[in-house]
Amino acid sequence: MSLGTSDPLVIAGREFGSRLLTGTGKYDTFETMREALDASGSEVVTVAVRRIDLDAGDADITAFLPEHVLLLPNTSGCETADEAVRTARLARAGGLPDWVKLEVIPDPRYLLPDPVETLRAAEILVEDGFTVLPYVLPDPVLQKKLEEVGCATVMPLAAPIGSGRGLKLRDSIRIMVEQAEVPLVVDAGLGSPSHAAESMELGADAVLVNTAIARAADPVAMARAFRLGVEAGRAAFRAGMMEEGVHAVASSPLAGVVRGQ
Amino acid sequence: MTASVRLNGRREPLPDGETVAGLLERLGLGARYALVERNGEPVERARYEEVRLEDGDRLVVARPVAGG
Repeated sequence: MSLGTSDPLVIAGREFGSRLLTGTGKYDTFETMREALDASGSEVVTVAVRRIDLDAGDADITAFLPEHVLLLPNTSGCETADEAVRTARLARAGGLPDWVKLEVIPDPRYLLPDPVETLRAAEILVEDGFTVLPYVLPDPVLQKKLEEVGCATVMPLAAPIGSGRGLKLRDSIRIMVEQAEVPLVVDAGLGSPSHAAESMELGADAVLVNTAIARAADPVAMARAFRLGVEAGRAAFRAGMMEEGVHAVASSPLAGVVRGQ
Repeated sequence: MTASVRLNGRREPLPDGETVAGLLERLGLGARYALVERNGEPVERARYEEVRLEDGDRLVVARPVAGG
C-alpha cells in the first residue's frame, strides 16, 4: 500500500494488494521460484499449459506455488485464435481459474503478438465467460477494440519478450495510459526495477515480469528489488510528478549570494 | 483386438469401463493437476470420476508448467 492509504489494483472486480504480476518461467529450480514469488509479493502468477510427457515424470509446479495467489494460465505457444481458445478451455475445465493471459504469437523468432487473432480470440473467450487479459503490441487503437469486446485488462509489451530493454515505445504506452478504461499492465521486456518504476510513473496500473527476475544472479533479491521499484513508481505517480523543462531552474535563491564586500 | 485410446498421440490399452480418473490413476497422474481433452472437447474436472472412456477415444492430457 502506498502513501499509507489503500491503493489496490482492481481487475474484473477483484482486488490485489500488489501491482507486480510475475511469471514462473526460466527459474533454475522450483524452490528458487517459490522463494522469488514470495519475495515479489505478487498475487497474480502466470503458468503455461503443456501436454504431459508420460515418460519424463518431472516435478509438478503446482506443488511449489503459493496458495493465496491467483494462477493465471497463459496461451503461450498458440499461433492462432483457435489454439488459444482451445488451451484456455482445457485449463478452465481442468480446474484452473477462468482467467487467461491471452497470447497469440505466430512467429517464434520475434515473438510478437498477432493483433487480429488476439482480438478474435478475446471476443470468443469473453463471450464464453472468461476474464481475458490480452498481451499485445503497444497499439492504442487495438487497446480500444479489446476494451470494447470486454477484456479485463490490456497488456502491452515494453520490448520483445525476454529482451530486458525497457520501454521502447514510451509515447504509445503514454497514450494507452491516458485513454485506458480497464487496467493497463506493461508486460514483457522490462529488464530492471527502474524500467518497472518508469512504467508505473507513466501511470501503468501494473507490470508483469518474468525473465528479469528469474535470470538474475540472485532471483530472490531481484524479486524484492522489483517489488520496491513498482511501489516507488506507483507512489511517484500518485504523488504527482513535476513538469519536465528544457532549461535549468535554480533551486536556491539567486539574490543575497555572499560575494565581495 | 483389445480396446485402446490414443493418449497424447500414443496408443494405450483401455481396460473395460475405465473412467478418466481411473486412467490418470493408472498412469500415475492421479495426484497431478491433469487437464484432459477427450475427442477435442475439454472434460470438466468434476466429471473425471464419471466419464467412461471408449475404444478409439483421442485424449490429450496436459498440465500447468512454468511459463511467463
